[in-house]
Amino acid sequence: MRQLARTFLLFILMSGTAMAQEGHPLKGSWIGEWTGNATHGDFVLLVLDWDGKNITGVINPGTDNMVIEKAELDPTDWSVTIQAGGYEIEGTINALELPSRSIVGTWKNQDRGGKLEISRQ
Amino acid sequence: MKKSILKKKTLHLALAGCLLGGAAGVQAHHPIQAKFDRNAEITLSGVVTLVDWSNPHTHVFVNVTDAGVTQNWAVELESPITLKDSGWSSDTLKPGDKIDVQGIRAKNGSRQVWGESVVASETGTPVFSVKDTAPLKPAEPRPAPKSSDGKVALGNTLELGDGYWGYPTEYALVEDSASIEMDKYGQLASLSDASKVAPLQDWALALYQYRQQRELQDDPMFINCKPPGGPRQYQSDLGIKILEDKAGQRVFVMMGSGNHNFRIIYLDGRSQAGQVSGDDDNPLYFGRSVGQWEGDTLVVNTTGFNEDFWFSNGGLPHTSMLTLHEKFSRPDLDTLHYEVTVEDPGAYTRNWTASWDMSWVSGKELPVHFCQDNRP
Repeated sequence: MRQLARTFLLFILMSGTAMAQEGHPLKGSWIGEWTGNATHGDFVLLVLDWDGKNITGVINPGTDNMVIEKAELDPTDWSVTIQAGGYEIEGTINALELPSRSIVGTWKNQDRGGKLEISRQ
Repeated sequence: MKKSILKKKTLHLALAGCLLGGAAGVQAHHPIQAKFDRNAEITLSGVVTLVDWSNPHTHVFVNVTDAGVTQNWAVELESPITLKDSGWSSDTLKPGDKIDVQGIRAKNGSRQVWGESVVASETGTPVFSVKDTAPLKPAEPRPAPKSSDGKVALGNTLELGDGYWGYPTEYALVEDSASIEMDKYGQLASLSDASKVAPLQDWALALYQYRQQRELQDDPMFINCKPPGGPRQYQSDLGIKILEDKAGQRVFVMMGSGNHNFRIIYLDGRSQAGQVSGDDDNPLYFGRSVGQWEGDTLVVNTTGFNEDFWFSNGGLPHTSMLTLHEKFSRPDLDTLHYEVTVEDPGAYTRNWTASWDMSWVSGKELPVHFCQDNRP
């Protein structure tokens, strides 16, 4: 199953360039891995939005829906923190100028933690 | 026959590219500072090998011999449109001519130069210099022309003949109350002025500064052929043309920049239905515009913008929450006054207004330039 998810992720990453996004840098779909996640698998999908005041969204929509409870972007260093469903994600936006920018950092819940790397689609 | 000429030209360009030592992106359009280092001044003297007279930039290739070694350099100049306006043509220089060039070198170290001055070595005569070709306005303003319905005509009339609006007095969005130095690409003279340009939210200010620090090299209009949506269409040297379709109760704004795109402003009383998903009359990059005349001013409301483009030279961000409140007026025959109030609670802390004028360029059609030429 994990192998299947990896294959799917690879397919998604190779299937085209990201949609342009010149507005809020977090807005959009982000796909990648949070490695070592025994509960939800290595594959992760975030859908993020910006309403002018708050970053909203969901982790893994349609499967193990986790509505984002709190998310913050610090534009002084483009660091990101996201809390949802007992998870806490910390990372930094890389290659801000690209539609396919990424967030690299860590994830943790009360039991485990690991690396996180997601790219905007 | 035409095909063989094209093949020959392609071969020439390919050879020129090889001579450059694999310098990529020689054709790409860009703000000057995005590609060339203003602090790396250079002087070259050599023999012209090829003049590539094509948009977006003219290139003169020159063999330069130094210490017995000859290398080919590319001297990049303004577009043929601009050079032609200044009286130059594709055969101003020919292979074999000797020239002296002063300019600045490419940041990537390749043998490319932005030509600030080109002089014919034997005569000392400057070539390919750019003149200010903005039309002179008459000392006494001429009255604005009227359409058949008695309203001020924003575009051409039978009596006026050909013409378009060009030479904007501002090249980037800046709140009217601010006075900030920047170049025609919207590059700030001082980054510390960024916060004065508009009432930006924190993330939007940081993103604007980031784009400025990268010297606008990520501008999607240049690198991805994205249209100059929003107020940006009125900030281009290439101008606009306004066509009033009285019977159809709509106004078309034709753009000299971008893809020769156009936007439609509906004056038939339909309700505003802008949506970022778009539809046939809501073309995403230009939003959906409805307007009405208030006296001699055309007042327009536009929503439904996507976030795939920069809505101003210089890289001010916007979001899909953007609504533009625009006013078009023609105080005299030679002046178009444009005013826009930006309402975007996604990127700005309050509404703000910018305005500028464009000049009537009489007797000419819009310059022909396609943004597809911006890409290598």
